[in-house]
Amino acid sequence: MRVKLCALLAVATTLGLATPPAAAEGRVILKVAIVQQIDSMNPFLAVFQSSTEVGRLMYDYLTAYAADDQRVTEGIANRWEPSADKLTWTFTVPEGKKWSDGQPITAQDVAFTYNLMLTNEVARTANGSFVTNFSSVTAPDDRTVVIRTKAPQVTMLALDVPIVPKHVWEKVTNIKDYANDQMPVVGSGPFVLTEHVAGQFIKLKANKSYWRGAPKYDELHFVYFQNSDAAVQALAKGEVDLVNRMAPAQFDSLKDKPGVTRNKAQGRRFVELLINPGAQTRAGEPIGDGNPALKDVRVRRAIAQAIDLDALVQRVSLGYAEKGAGLVPPVFGKWHWQPGESELRKFDPAAANAALDAAGYPRKADGTRFSLRLTGRAGRAYDEQASEYLKRQLGDVGIALDVRLVSDNQLNEATTVATYDLAFSGWATNVDPDFILGLHTCAQRPGADGKGGTTDAYFCDQTYDELYARQLSEFDEGKRVELVKQMQARFYDQVPAVVLAYENALEAYRSDHFARFTTQPAQGGVIMAQNGMWGYYGAEPAARAATSGSTWVGFAVVAAAVSSLLLAIVVYTRRRKATAGERE
Amino acid sequence: MRRGVRLWGRLGGAALSLVMVAVLGFFLFRVVPGDPVVSMTRGRPTTAAMQAELRAQFGLDRPLHEQFFSYFTSLLRGDLGTSFTFRRPVADVILERLGPTLLLVGTSTVIAVGLGLWLGVRAAWRRDSAFDKATTGVSLTLWAVPTFWLGMLLMMATGELFPSRGMRDTDTAPDFVSQALDVGHHLVLPSLTLVAVVCAEYMLVMRSSLLEEMHAPYLTTARAKGLRDDLVRRRHAVPNAVLPAITLVFLRFGLVVAGAITTETVFSWPGLGLLFYDALTGPDYFLLQGLLVVTAGAVVVMNLLAELLYGVLDPRVKVV
Amino acid sequence: MSRFNRAGVAGAAILAVAALVAVVAPLLISADELDVTRVTAAPWQSPGAEFWLGTDHTGRSVAVLVAQGAGTSLFVGLTAAVLAVGIGTLVGVVSGHFGGLVAGALLRITDFFLVLPALVLAIALSTVLPRGLGTIVLAIGLTSWPSTARMVRAQTLTIEARPFVERARALGGGHVHVIGRHVLPSVVPLVLVNATLAVATAIVAESTLAFLGLGDPTRISWGAMLHQAQLHGAVPQRAWWFLLPPGVAIVVVVLAFTLVGRALEAVVTPKR
Repeated sequence: MRVKLCALLAVATTLGLATPPAAAEGRVILKVAIVQQIDSMNPFLAVFQSSTEVGRLMYDYLTAYAADDQRVTEGIANRWEPSADKLTWTFTVPEGKKWSDGQPITAQDVAFTYNLMLTNEVARTANGSFVTNFSSVTAPDDRTVVIRTKAPQVTMLALDVPIVPKHVWEKVTNIKDYANDQMPVVGSGPFVLTEHVAGQFIKLKANKSYWRGAPKYDELHFVYFQNSDAAVQALAKGEVDLVNRMAPAQFDSLKDKPGVTRNKAQGRRFVELLINPGAQTRAGEPIGDGNPALKDVRVRRAIAQAIDLDALVQRVSLGYAEKGAGLVPPVFGKWHWQPGESELRKFDPAAANAALDAAGYPRKADGTRFSLRLTGRAGRAYDEQASEYLKRQLGDVGIALDVRLVSDNQLNEATTVATYDLAFSGWATNVDPDFILGLHTCAQRPGADGKGGTTDAYFCDQTYDELYARQLSEFDEGKRVELVKQMQARFYDQVPAVVLAYENALEAYRSDHFARFTTQPAQGGVIMAQNGMWGYYGAEPAARAATSGSTWVGFAVVAAAVSSLLLAIVVYTRRRKATAGERE
Repeated sequence: MRRGVRLWGRLGGAALSLVMVAVLGFFLFRVVPGDPVVSMTRGRPTTAAMQAELRAQFGLDRPLHEQFFSYFTSLLRGDLGTSFTFRRPVADVILERLGPTLLLVGTSTVIAVGLGLWLGVRAAWRRDSAFDKATTGVSLTLWAVPTFWLGMLLMMATGELFPSRGMRDTDTAPDFVSQALDVGHHLVLPSLTLVAVVCAEYMLVMRSSLLEEMHAPYLTTARAKGLRDDLVRRRHAVPNAVLPAITLVFLRFGLVVAGAITTETVFSWPGLGLLFYDALTGPDYFLLQGLLVVTAGAVVVMNLLAELLYGVLDPRVKVV
Repeated sequence: MSRFNRAGVAGAAILAVAALVAVVAPLLISADELDVTRVTAAPWQSPGAEFWLGTDHTGRSVAVLVAQGAGTSLFVGLTAAVLAVGIGTLVGVVSGHFGGLVAGALLRITDFFLVLPALVLAIALSTVLPRGLGTIVLAIGLTSWPSTARMVRAQTLTIEARPFVERARALGGGHVHVIGRHVLPSVVPLVLVNATLAVATAIVAESTLAFLGLGDPTRISWGAMLHQAQLHGAVPQRAWWFLLPPGVAIVVVVLAFTLVGRALEAVVTPKR
């Protein structure tokens, strides 16, 4: 009797688990893998790239960057006008744009958002740097926003601040504890946040009343993965439709996968090797314990010359990168700088050897001149591999490297208080180069206690600082581009850091589910991590093939096998018991 | 009377352990070099003033003894501080991830205990039989297998049969049956991994526990009464041997916690173990500290329960 | 009994082979075979005539890496076990021999560490300390001593209750005499068994820490290989040759230590 019951139960379970769950019918869903955590859905607090990416889908900014060439284009505002002294900017918010709950978007919303940031320090957590130079923001009527700045600011059309609806946020009393999870979250972007389960997924639905027009599909899901390895597997299985930030080997593994299209794009990121130029505090006091030999610019140049950038690109990045030069990556073609023939430092170990001899660092009996620490981050594939190459290449010119791969926190600590000789670093750059250039001015160095600095490489150079100040108030774009390039040339010449490579952004998508995506820029651009939301907004679904039940068939087979095995065991033991009873 | 004193001693000991866990959690993560605010703001536009504000927000600008005092008093109120990563109370972040871990750990423990004890009983009863040799061998081998490696192997071996990550798909129909089936489908590989590793331990424990019991005089008496072998085992030997085994199950709770961390990491199972791993990559010290206090605290409580249970169930044993 | 001894002998044989590999491998393997900047073979090659176990993501031979990794894994396992058992023995003997407040405090601390989940604590320690082999050894050693301490304490108490120890004491034997002449000799066999089993646990712990990215990244160990395999996508590439060998090596060596430990245990523990 019990045997039969067990059997029945086993069969029922098998059938139950083997029935595919009814997938929601008729909705087209784009599923995107993300590997980074979401820190907050509150746009005033969210700082992680993944969170700001979702934020861009939920909220428009005052202005946007066009998909094809990243020029400034319409956002919440469609017209803007600086005053003659460049201290007052007037933005026009056109009629007809609506929040996702149907309320009109007005200049009051814009003024509310900026004023919240000006008056509430918590609201400045994520994007405070954009408003530090503001003296006042007013909305004389529903269509006009007037922003007054303390000093002329060239980045007034690059204010990456999500504009929030006043009628929702004026009721928020405590920004710090506000999770922004009143679903659906009222927004102005092409998608509306409908569900967020921490560590699992984020669901957004298309905003049918978006002023640029509704997206071409129904829902956008971000699915959280613990590492890109799992994400790539999921793409191969068709569990997600879009993956980015792949390692070169993972990208190669998808080469001949049917139904998958790969996108190798120019990225916004670069990796660099910091060379401690004799770090000093803002007051000019020495800080840290960098090797004094590196204070000599000839030594730094020799080090840069001894590094084979092509080999790093080929062997470490497997060709998915471009050789480094200036601070602005080539994806921002206008601002990008390449050394001319006379300025270029070619890979030349012999010349580097000669330069080091001339600088007064002859080889000792053991063949080395001096030794340096190279600090990198453990677990970051680039650092782990590139350090091997650097060790060998600098060894060839008599510089012994002591490679130290440490935790993220320890790396930050070493670079902050300048207890490094050489260290890996890297930055993601924005459309406007102001931020990445500003990192290298003297004022960014820390105070006497080693705190309060945001310098990247402890660079402090008068020529560079003068150029920086000039470009900041240069409103003629052609002239500003020229100044920006001169700054990069100066940086390259003084080598407080060597830009090693501009890494490609490696992405892949299920082309059997989605036919095409909008890249930014149009040629060689990225789908994810754009300066905008075009990749998701412009995705076009393919005529979708009926979802195959293959995984469920397989699962059913296994479940059936397991149940029958259990059944067999039960029957077997029952019979054994029966015979054992008779035996006694 | 003596028992009462012992009970209070036990409770006091556990309380002391909890306090020590809290103190350890604080100093382990606060005395490390490095400024967490710099890590938090790395790679995005920040001014020195913003950094100072953040430092004040998290109380990092105050002297260590003040930080410790406020940490300890808020801990008593159940406040574990604020996570750097999520900008929310650590207690909330942990609570939110508790469900998936309980599901995974609960399912796996129930299966592992059932299977492990059953196999252990059979192996011990037929000592040195082929069955005993096989199960003991397999258990010893499984005991030697690193959990994460087993998970990766299973993932590679099953190919596309099972989902590679997480607890559920996002496009499953919202009704209960579909959702439950979906979660079940996702649960197969992670729980299999955890069961395999934990079950081996339980099997070995049960086996040796029963072996010790086998030569007890009362079993000879029972057999002499003419009871069938099967009945002797079921009515007499097993109930007595199961007790120490169950206690050990509770005592080895730390083992399950460790298994959960690696299993959840391999399968992106959205529970506390994965949270632990994520907190490591920051590293998010307040979150790590909270997780350490919570997991260690849970283990302390489990142990206390096991000991009390043991004393209640088995009057022969004094609660020592 | 004989079964366990046979298994124990097999385990010992395996360990001898592993130790031989660990010692000989660094002598036979040239630095060029391990230096990613000098290898010329294609990455991700499946096993073949040239590379018995294929190549990894940089084109290094997996077989060479496994052989090279034996040294690190065994070194960490042995030193961590010695550290753990050393601390455990010290604490156990002291708390067993000297009564009173010291014993009470030590017992309290032992109980505290006994219940703490060792892996969690080891992870926490390796996060805050600088990366390196020393950290791993310390993290494992400092978290796995309490069970030894408990056992040694019990054994010390048993021995000290024996008439011959009481006699020694009555004849004026000091602490040093009692501990050195009577307690330690009787504790040593137990400690040996414990150490053998502790090595097994330590090797698994090392691989877990390395897998989580907390190991010494400049050294090749079996756990570090699995970390690399995961980091560079061995599972989606179906590169079983990169995933299986290091794992199998861990299992075989850990199993060998366990078998030897159990065989020793059977010899040492008095039969009931």
